[in-house]
Amino acid sequence: MTESLALGEFEHVVLLAVLRLGDAAYAVAVRDEIARHTGRRVSRGSVYVTLDRLETKGCLRSRLADPTPERGGRAKRYYALRPRAIEALKENRRTLAAMWRGLDEQLGRV
Amino acid sequence: MTGDVPRGVARVLAVVLPSEHVDPVLGDLADEYASRRSTQPGWRAAAGIWIETFRLCAVFALERARRDRELPPIADTAEPRASLSEAFVRDLAVGARMLSRQRAFMAVALLTLALGIGASTAIFSFVDAVLWRPLPYPAAEDMVALFEQRPREGRLSGLVAPADFVDWREGSRAFTSMAAVSESMLNLTGVGEGQRLPALSVSPGFLDTLALVPDFGRTFRAEEELPGNSHVVLLSNGLWRSHFGADPAVIGRRVLLNAVPYDVVGVLPSSFWWPTKPDVVVPLALDAADRRLRALHAFKVIARRKPGVSLAQASADMAAIGARLSEQYPVEDGAHFPRVASVRETFVGDVGPSLVVLLGAVGFVLLISCANVATLLMARGTARRKELAIRLALGAPHRRIVRQLMTESLLLASLGGACGVAFAWWGVEALRLALPVRYNALPGVAMIALDARILLTALLMTLGTSVLFGLAPAFTAARDAVAAPMNEEGRSGTTGIHANRVRSALVVLEVALSVMLLVTAMLLLASFKKLLDVSPGFEPERLLTMRVTLPQAKYGDHARIVQFYDALLERVRSMPGVDGAGIVTVLPFAGADSRAGFKIEGRDGQSPVPVRANPRLMSENYLSTLGVPLVSGRAISPRDAEGTPAVALINQAAARRFWPGQDAVGSRITFSFDTPSWIEIVGIVGDIKDAALDADSDPAVYLPYRQTAFASQARAMSVVVRTSRSLAAVGPGLRTAVRELDRDQPVGPVRDMPELIGESVAPRRLNLLLVSAFAIMAIVLTGAGLYGVLGYLVAQRTHEIGIRMALGASRGRVLVLVLRHAGAMTVAGLGLGLAGALACARLVSGLLFGISPTDPAVYAGVSVLLIAVALLAAAAPARRASRVDPLTALRG
Repeated sequence: MTESLALGEFEHVVLLAVLRLGDAAYAVAVRDEIARHTGRRVSRGSVYVTLDRLETKGCLRSRLADPTPERGGRAKRYYALRPRAIEALKENRRTLAAMWRGLDEQLGRV
Repeated sequence: MTGDVPRGVARVLAVVLPSEHVDPVLGDLADEYASRRSTQPGWRAAAGIWIETFRLCAVFALERARRDRELPPIADTAEPRASLSEAFVRDLAVGARMLSRQRAFMAVALLTLALGIGASTAIFSFVDAVLWRPLPYPAAEDMVALFEQRPREGRLSGLVAPADFVDWREGSRAFTSMAAVSESMLNLTGVGEGQRLPALSVSPGFLDTLALVPDFGRTFRAEEELPGNSHVVLLSNGLWRSHFGADPAVIGRRVLLNAVPYDVVGVLPSSFWWPTKPDVVVPLALDAADRRLRALHAFKVIARRKPGVSLAQASADMAAIGARLSEQYPVEDGAHFPRVASVRETFVGDVGPSLVVLLGAVGFVLLISCANVATLLMARGTARRKELAIRLALGAPHRRIVRQLMTESLLLASLGGACGVAFAWWGVEALRLALPVRYNALPGVAMIALDARILLTALLMTLGTSVLFGLAPAFTAARDAVAAPMNEEGRSGTTGIHANRVRSALVVLEVALSVMLLVTAMLLLASFKKLLDVSPGFEPERLLTMRVTLPQAKYGDHARIVQFYDALLERVRSMPGVDGAGIVTVLPFAGADSRAGFKIEGRDGQSPVPVRANPRLMSENYLSTLGVPLVSGRAISPRDAEGTPAVALINQAAARRFWPGQDAVGSRITFSFDTPSWIEIVGIVGDIKDAALDADSDPAVYLPYRQTAFASQARAMSVVVRTSRSLAAVGPGLRTAVRELDRDQPVGPVRDMPELIGESVAPRRLNLLLVSAFAIMAIVLTGAGLYGVLGYLVAQRTHEIGIRMALGASRGRVLVLVLRHAGAMTVAGLGLGLAGALACARLVSGLLFGISPTDPAVYAGVSVLLIAVALLAAAAPARRASRVDPLTALRG
C-alpha cells in the first residue's frame, strides 16, 4: 500500500537530518545537524516532539543506547529511518522536482 | 557532579513529558549542563537549564493539545472514565494553548496579578515577622510585661518604681519569675578601642523569665542584686565573637565598664534578643534607699506566668497587690495601678495598628487585581462563547466547561503567582532598605525574608485569587454559552446581559475599593503634612548633638564633672562657626524617657495625686542654644552653682497643669519625700516637643547641673551646638575637643537635630509611602478595568451603534451612550466607596494627626480625582463608538 504520507516542512528537514547522521542520530545531534546545514536554530523541544510524532507516524524507529555515567546513567535515544520514510522522502523529492521543472524562468521574473 | 541536572528539573519533566521520553531528555540536558558549566558560572548554567526545561514543557504541552484537538470534540463525553489527573493535564494543555494565543491579554493579566500577589506577599512577610512569628524565647506566650499605668493614660506606658517592683516580686503568686530591666549605654574600655555599648541592667530573674540559659558560664545570683556584689557581666554572643575571639576562657576575665572593673560570668546564647540589642548585661543593683523609692519610675518589668495561670488570673493577682499598695502609700501609689500585658504588645507598641492598616491596604490592591483579571477573563469568555456553545451542543457537560475555564484561571494565577513572588523578593529587599531606624527595635525585623512560610502563603493567595477571579467568569461564560446562538456573528443585542451585569458589578467594586484606599492615603498624607508643620518649640536647623557619658570611677566627684563640661563647652564655643553650645541630660527626640514624682510645698495632703514631670539637668546656655523662650521669671545663670539656693525652671505645660491660674514662680518643690530639700522655681520657659511631634509636651523641670540634685545623672550628657556650618565641618572638631580633654573618653556619633526629628516621623513616612503607592496602583488598575470594560462594550455593540447611527443618531448621542454607562458605574462605585471609606477612616483614626477622619475636603478631593480618572478611561472607547461607520458596522 503506497498511502502517501503528509509530511510537514520541519518533519521533512528532521528526517533528512536523521538520514545524514546515520548511526549517530539522537535529538541533540539532529538539532546541531539542522543548524549546521540551514543556519536555523530550532528549539530543543520541537526536535523532541517532531521525532516522537514521526515515530508515531511510522517513519522512524528508536532504540535506547547503553546508559553512560557522564549523563547521570541515562541512555540516549537513537533514531533510524524506516523504509516507509525513505519512500516518502523519495516520493517528496520526485514530486517537488517535477513541479520545479521549467520554472526557472518564471522565478527569475517574480 | 558530572552527569547531573539542577535539582528539581527531573521532577518537573517527569510530570509533563511522556514517560518514555524523560530519561533520554534528562541525559541530553545533563550533557548540556556539563558543557555550560565549563564556560559559565554555576548559577547561570543552572538558570539556562531551567529555561530550557520550561520551554520543553511548553512545547510538549502544546504538542499534546495539538494531538488532542485532532480527536473529535465529542470526546468530552466519550471519555468519562478519564482519570481526574489526566483530564487536568489535558485541560492545562488546552489552557496553555489558549493563553499563548493571546499575548496582550496574558501580559496585562499577568502583570496585574503579579503586582497584587507580589505586593501582598512582601507586606505579609513584614507583618508576619513582626506581629505573628513567635518571639525568640521558649514558651514566649507565657511572658508578660508589667506597667504602672495611670487611669487617664490609654497607651501602654508607665515605668515601674523600684520599691513597687520589689513589692510586686515578693507579693505576686502568678509568676515563676519577675525581673526589672533598665536600658542604658556603658563605655567598654580595656578591650581594643574604647566603645559605647548598649547595655541592660537586670534583676537576677531576667534570664529565667526569658527561659534562656547562657551558652557558657552562669546567670546572675540573687545576692548580685545588692550593691557591692554587682560587678559581674554577661556578654552578648556577638560581642564575645567580635571582641574576645569566641574564646571560652573569657569566663573570669575582667573588663572595664564605665571605668569600673566587672568580672565576666557568662556568654549569652546567640538567640538572645531584646529591642535595644544590648551587648552587655549587668545586675541591677538596688540599695536600701532604692528599695524604698516609689517616686522615681525607672524600670521596665517582665515576668513569666506559672503554667496554667491565665492572663486574666495574673491581672487579678497584680490588681490585688496594687490595691494593697495604694492603700499603704496613697501619695505615691494612689494614682496608678499595675497592668499586665503581653510582652509582644510592649515590643511592638503603636507600630502594630499601622502594620494592620498596611496589610488591609495591600489586601484591597489584591482584590482589585482579582476583579480586574475577572473582567478581562469575562471579556475573553464572551469571545469564546461560540466555541463553548459548540462543545455544549456536542454533549460536553456543563461542569466540564466550568472545569476547563477554572483550570485556565488556575494556570493564569500560577504564572501570576510565580511573577508575584519575584516581585515580592524585590519588594522585601526594598522594604528592608526603607525601614526606619526605629523599626530595628521591633521583634522579627531581622528575620524578614521570603521563606517557606511566606511562599506557602503566596501559594494559598494564588489559589485563592484563581478562585476569586475565575469563578464568576467561568459560570457566566458556561451559562451564556447555553443561550448563545450559533450564528456567525452572535449579533443578538440581548445575549451576555448577565455577563455584562457581573462585569459592571466588578468594576463598581474596583471603584469602591479604590475610593476607600485613596481616602485612607489622603488622610494619612494630610496628617503627615500637618505633623511636619508642627513646631517642636525650638529651632532644629543647624543644631548638632553628641552624647558623652563620663565613667563614674574617674568622675565620681561632682566638681570634676562640672570642671570637665565647663572646659568642654569653652572649647566648643571657641570653635569657628559655633554660635552657642550647652548640655542636657535628656535630649528631645532622642527616644529617652524618665519621669520623677515631686511634691509642691504647702500642698501636703491636699493633692492626692503625686505630680510627675521629666527632670532635665542642663547648663545655663542649653535653652538659649535651642532657642526656647523664657516666658516669665529669670533664666538660670552660672551663679546657680553648688552652695547657692537650689533653683529650677519649669515649662508652660507644668505651670498649666500644676499651678492652674496661679503664678508658679516663687513656689518650691522637692523630689525627695522623706527629707525634703526644696528647690525654688525661678522661671517659666516655653514648651518643646520631647518625644514626638504628635504628642503633647509633657511637664518638664529644668535643673542647673551645677547644683547637686540628681548629681549622679549629670555624668551622661548630650552636648548641643548651634552652628552656622555643616555637620561635616564642625563634627570632627567636637570629637577632638572631647579627646583633648580626656584621651580615653569615648563619644557617641555627632548627629543633627533635623535628622533626629526625621527619625521620629520615619515610621509615619514609610506607612504613608506604602499606602500611597497602593492607592496609586489601585486607581491605575481601576482605570484600566473601566477602560477594558467600556472598550469591550463598544466592540460588542458596534453593530447596534451602527444601526442607531444609520437611523439618525448623532455622534454626540452615541458619545453620551457610552459615557452614561461609565458614569453609572463610577457613581455607584463612588457611593459605595465613600460609605466604606467612612468605616475605614474610623479604623485608621488612631494614626491620624490634626485631621478629622471625616474631613470633607479629603472626600471631595478623592471624588473629583476618581471622576477624572473615569472620564479619562472612558474617553477613548467613547470616541471610538462615536466614530463607528454605520456602513462598515452593518456590513461587518
